[in-house]
Amino acid sequence: MKFAFLCKSKPTSMGKRVAIIGAGIAGLSAAGYLTCKGFEVDVYDKQPVAGGLAALAIPSYRIPYNNIDEGVEDLVKSFGVKLYLNTKVMCGERHDEGDDFVKHVVDLRNIVKEYSAVVITTGTWRSRKLGVPGEDAKGVVDALTFLYKLRLAEHGLAEEFWTKPKRVVVVGAGLSAVDAAEEALRLGAEEVYLIYRRTKKEAPAGEYYVDDLIAKGVKWLELAAPTKIIVENGFVKAVEFQRMRLGPPDKTGRPAPIPIPGSEFTIEADLVIPAIGEVSTPPFTQECAEFKQFLDERGYIISKGYRLGNTNMFVAGDVLTGPTKLGEACKHGLYTARDVERFLRGV
Amino acid sequence: MDKSSGNPTLLRWIDYNKCIGCGVCSAVCDFIHEGVSFIKLYDIGGGLVKPISCFHCAKAPCVEVCPTKAMRRDDSGAVYVDGSRCIGCMACLYACPYGIPELSIITKTSTKCDLCKQLRGDGLEPACVAMCPTKAIVIGVPQAVFDEAKKRALTRIMKAVMSFGGSI
Repeated sequence: MKFAFLCKSKPTSMGKRVAIIGAGIAGLSAAGYLTCKGFEVDVYDKQPVAGGLAALAIPSYRIPYNNIDEGVEDLVKSFGVKLYLNTKVMCGERHDEGDDFVKHVVDLRNIVKEYSAVVITTGTWRSRKLGVPGEDAKGVVDALTFLYKLRLAEHGLAEEFWTKPKRVVVVGAGLSAVDAAEEALRLGAEEVYLIYRRTKKEAPAGEYYVDDLIAKGVKWLELAAPTKIIVENGFVKAVEFQRMRLGPPDKTGRPAPIPIPGSEFTIEADLVIPAIGEVSTPPFTQECAEFKQFLDERGYIISKGYRLGNTNMFVAGDVLTGPTKLGEACKHGLYTARDVERFLRGV
Repeated sequence: MDKSSGNPTLLRWIDYNKCIGCGVCSAVCDFIHEGVSFIKLYDIGGGLVKPISCFHCAKAPCVEVCPTKAMRRDDSGAVYVDGSRCIGCMACLYACPYGIPELSIITKTSTKCDLCKQLRGDGLEPACVAMCPTKAIVIGVPQAVFDEAKKRALTRIMKAVMSFGGSI
């Protein structure tokens, strides 16, 4: 990905520094634009490699890492973008997925003071919980962590610590559920279940990808939701499900799944992968007096546009919108960067 | 364009095997054209989402049919609209087998992909090609693109052969 696709070489410096927090697709797209407009761009990321979820969660058979890495290399070597890896920028405390590689913690308040503008593109590094008993058992690994650890192992940054799972249950039907189920098959699991509380028609990943997995050997089960994880000696042993039926549309416009009492059944599993979505992880929390006004009660950023109030902070990508496809992240990154440019040029 | 033979010198090809439907091509196109993308993604059913854009046909019906000669071909073979000549009749849309040209409600002229004429003029690649995360969008002289397509097909065939325990 040639993030600096708008220029051949770096133009004369505007003498203004921009910090980008989060080297995912939104942040790197913003970095590419801003460097082409003559700004000095520093990119911070808590991970040991740049690329965000595209490098560290989306399977490499979909996006080979080299395709992202060559774009990052180009930004750093040809455009003087400075990349600070293993560096988490925060105001307030919060532990998210992928914090294990953090070597430096930088205070967001200092970044905001040091740079002319700050672009927040920290993504969605926390998984939604199922909210059922037994969820903390060993062998329950959310899709983001599962995919992330597999990518880390490919990058040579972690041991492949999984003993080969025999029976895998993936809960959900979005793109991370689909990727997790396919990766479980590739790991050599004997049985992989993909279980969704609505029907194939409502599956966020789409019927096409569900059918593709079924053809590859995944067992698809619809209209069922987990009610508890059955645990033995601290390890998952099985999952209890309850049958659902579809009711009238809920607030998302899709038919609401309604539990059918007395319809419980269990499926044995040694690996359970909840894939029911990820949530926004901004670089500040309610503890941060300076910026907490930009958070709602759930800790997500609230903003009318890309700029946060009258500050020099801008926000883009999944951290603002919730999980999307790469295209959306890229688009928001670029449009935000243009707003940053206008802000810094004073137009 | 090679004026003597009339052969286009640039060909863009979308490798739908590699494409994951992420929408980065459309995002960058939208951004550089002020909110209008000339490579668009559609869900053709069941969540199978892929992009489509102008094929810059070697014998382009839109160029043939245009009554004001607004639909033209540049030196690289890219088919583009000369906005100053276009009357917005959309005869090009009737002629196009792929439904590509669109009427701009702002300029009242036909609009379509020009393979990023401006970026190419600066020695850069079209934005969709430069940013595609899967290298699904290939551009080059036609023979190079044909060779790349066949190499990719061969790679897939050999991967399948090897996965069934074949030896070479």
